[in-house]
Amino acid sequence: MTDMLRTIDLSKRFRKTVALDHLNMVVPEHSVYAFVGPNGAGKTTTIKILMNACQASEGVAQVFGHDSRKLCPGDFTEIGYVSENQQMPEWMTVEYFMNYLKPFYPHWDTARAAELLQQFELPHDRKIRNLSQGMRMKAALASSLAYRPRLIVLDEPFTGLDALVRDELIGGVLECAEGATILISSHDLSDVESFASHIGYLDHGHLQFSEEMRSMAERFREIEVTLASPSPSPISLPGAWLNAEQSAAVVRFVDSQFDEERTVAEVHRLFGKTHQISVNPMPLRAIFVTLAKAGRKAG
Amino acid sequence: MRQALHIFKKDVRHLWLEIAVTITVAAAFSFTGARRALWLADPATNRTAAWTMVLILLPLSWWTLIARAIHGETLLGDRQFWITRPYSWKSLLGAKVLFILAFVNLPMFLADIAILRANGLRPLGDALPGLLWSQVLLAIVFVLPIAALSALTGGFVQLILAILAPCVIALAVAIVVPEVVLGGFWGGSEWIRTYYVFLVLSVAAPAILVWQYATRRTPAARFLAVASAMLAVLGATLIPWSAAFKIQSWFSKESAEQSLAYVDFESSRSWLIRAVLERGDRVRVELPLSVTSLPRDMSAKPEGFSLQLEAPDGAKWQTSQVLMSYPSDMGQEFSLPVTVDGAFYRKVKDEPIRVRGSLYLTLFGNRQTARVPIGDQPVPVPHVGVCAASGGANPRSYFLGCRSAFRFPPVLVSYRFIQSTVEGAENVWISPQPRPISYSPFPAEPGIIPVSEDFTFSIPRVAPSEASVVTVEPLAYIQRNFEIDNLRLADFQRNAASVLP
Repeated sequence: MTDMLRTIDLSKRFRKTVALDHLNMVVPEHSVYAFVGPNGAGKTTTIKILMNACQASEGVAQVFGHDSRKLCPGDFTEIGYVSENQQMPEWMTVEYFMNYLKPFYPHWDTARAAELLQQFELPHDRKIRNLSQGMRMKAALASSLAYRPRLIVLDEPFTGLDALVRDELIGGVLECAEGATILISSHDLSDVESFASHIGYLDHGHLQFSEEMRSMAERFREIEVTLASPSPSPISLPGAWLNAEQSAAVVRFVDSQFDEERTVAEVHRLFGKTHQISVNPMPLRAIFVTLAKAGRKAG
Repeated sequence: MRQALHIFKKDVRHLWLEIAVTITVAAAFSFTGARRALWLADPATNRTAAWTMVLILLPLSWWTLIARAIHGETLLGDRQFWITRPYSWKSLLGAKVLFILAFVNLPMFLADIAILRANGLRPLGDALPGLLWSQVLLAIVFVLPIAALSALTGGFVQLILAILAPCVIALAVAIVVPEVVLGGFWGGSEWIRTYYVFLVLSVAAPAILVWQYATRRTPAARFLAVASAMLAVLGATLIPWSAAFKIQSWFSKESAEQSLAYVDFESSRSWLIRAVLERGDRVRVELPLSVTSLPRDMSAKPEGFSLQLEAPDGAKWQTSQVLMSYPSDMGQEFSLPVTVDGAFYRKVKDEPIRVRGSLYLTLFGNRQTARVPIGDQPVPVPHVGVCAASGGANPRSYFLGCRSAFRFPPVLVSYRFIQSTVEGAENVWISPQPRPISYSPFPAEPGIIPVSEDFTFSIPRVAPSEASVVTVEPLAYIQRNFEIDNLRLADFQRNAASVLP
């Protein structure tokens, strides 16, 4: 599997504000990469640098294996980019917008474009300025899927949309994006957890982690240890144990590098005799809350 | 090219209203400009108010159209839909250039042809170089600056601020140091300063456009714009007139041999020397000079001078001034007016001073006379264009006017009405007004109006039988030095009130 997107020590400063701090991120080919993090974490900045819409202060951003600053029109025929805050040609009707874009793309599929307009129930003759936010996103998405791009970049596409429209958009993307690589950013995990294959978590310009969803779900476990007798907790817990809490004889923590044999052995080494060790898998949302809390404590 | 055409078509569809307005104004310009050809003969055809409005509206309509076209794909910011689409910057820029050529240059080109034809000038004949060059000037003066500013701004409000900011600075300079703005008109050589600014504009504006379209790095492009504006203003302000005259001398048609002309102090006419005390602690010293050794068929026009007054103790006063002399001042003898600082004057007035200076002269020759019958029949006049004489609306007043394509004539023109007497002799009435002249070697001057008009009128007691237009051609631009020794200024002191103007 090759990398469709890669950043190497990517940094971006806006005067004294550091938006990205030596970001190293890889989006493998054919993956659906969920790029999540709180508002202001630097997701949009990263994407804009990848799309050569703005310049990095340091480091390199690569798309299709080459420097994003050298993205040429030919590259953009294979990229579909949709953003919540994209300025659209407001005066165009939906139909004119699609027809206008068609000659730019050698692989434009007219039938597919018509299908997309129908699927998204877009009014052909309505001007873009008269569309609702959801309709605008649908129009932008339809115009970005009609040429079967190899790379689809969606920057906060679901912001301000109701659940129904969101599901329609997700359905549309997944249906049409067979074989494509998708990078989708969101500040809301629930937007993307159902269909992402990879996930990267960005906070204050730092990439906290970036990996396959499956491996992450296997890596995180909530551990509850019932001690034989109440005892002061050990002075230092392993770094991979996050958000440790103790009440009387019960110690709870999240192991971010869970391996059953190793974790149990470590618990016995640190706490001695235990009554019970319960290991619970964690939903993605709980993993994120844990990480966010741990990050805050570390900060 | 296909992509450029595709974007062009989109812009035409989007900006049809702005295009319609621009073409309507251009058509009105063409109509009123053509009608003006008749207004001397028939004042009822005059549409001065409409003409004035059109001259204001025309550039405004161009600028609006250009800004709207460029802002259609704004180059500032990172949110525009087109920057993540397969746009080639060359196609995008090409589309905008095509748009401007189609809806600014082409209508103006056609309007100019119509106006020239209505004025009896030949747009595809003698006036063709001017017609083509005026398109270049239109691009440099009216199109490129606004296109570059539009590429550096994100919308109309920003653009207007970008235009107003330098205007406000210029206004402040004009209020605080008016001499910077008004003090340095260079007469016939003014075109050198103008073309210096054009040179900066024609290099900087395309560079900004190409840079912006290729990279969209606005801060660097804005820096380039400010640096270019400063270069243009500083250069235009600081270039000495004598340097401009040196450039002008490259365009001499005849070699300026040293023996061709001399400048001498007229010591025999020392009664003409004056030192006039003026307001503002300044003294105007007038020195009688003469130009000698000129061939009979040539005359000299002083254009300016540089001068140094030296006192025996080494005190010096230097100045370099442009002379606003008119053809009527032409001749071999004239008085050189030098404005001297009052403090320096008081210090040296009783001492024998030495005056050393250089006089810059234009030598005119190749005198030609074209007869113009009275009867409103246009007559072609070489180097000028067409001239016509008429009786005018009032039977006792007579008009003689010339029209030139795109510029003032590159020759000095004087107008005459000729009255035949019973004895067969001719009385000649010569127009006393100064006629405008430009020494520019280019076939067009910057501006919107394609026809420059110049006319004179007379109310003679006896009806003239015909008129004539006399032209003399600038042949050489020369510098000659002179020296005056032992001049005691106090001997020639006058108060301003005691001297006739």
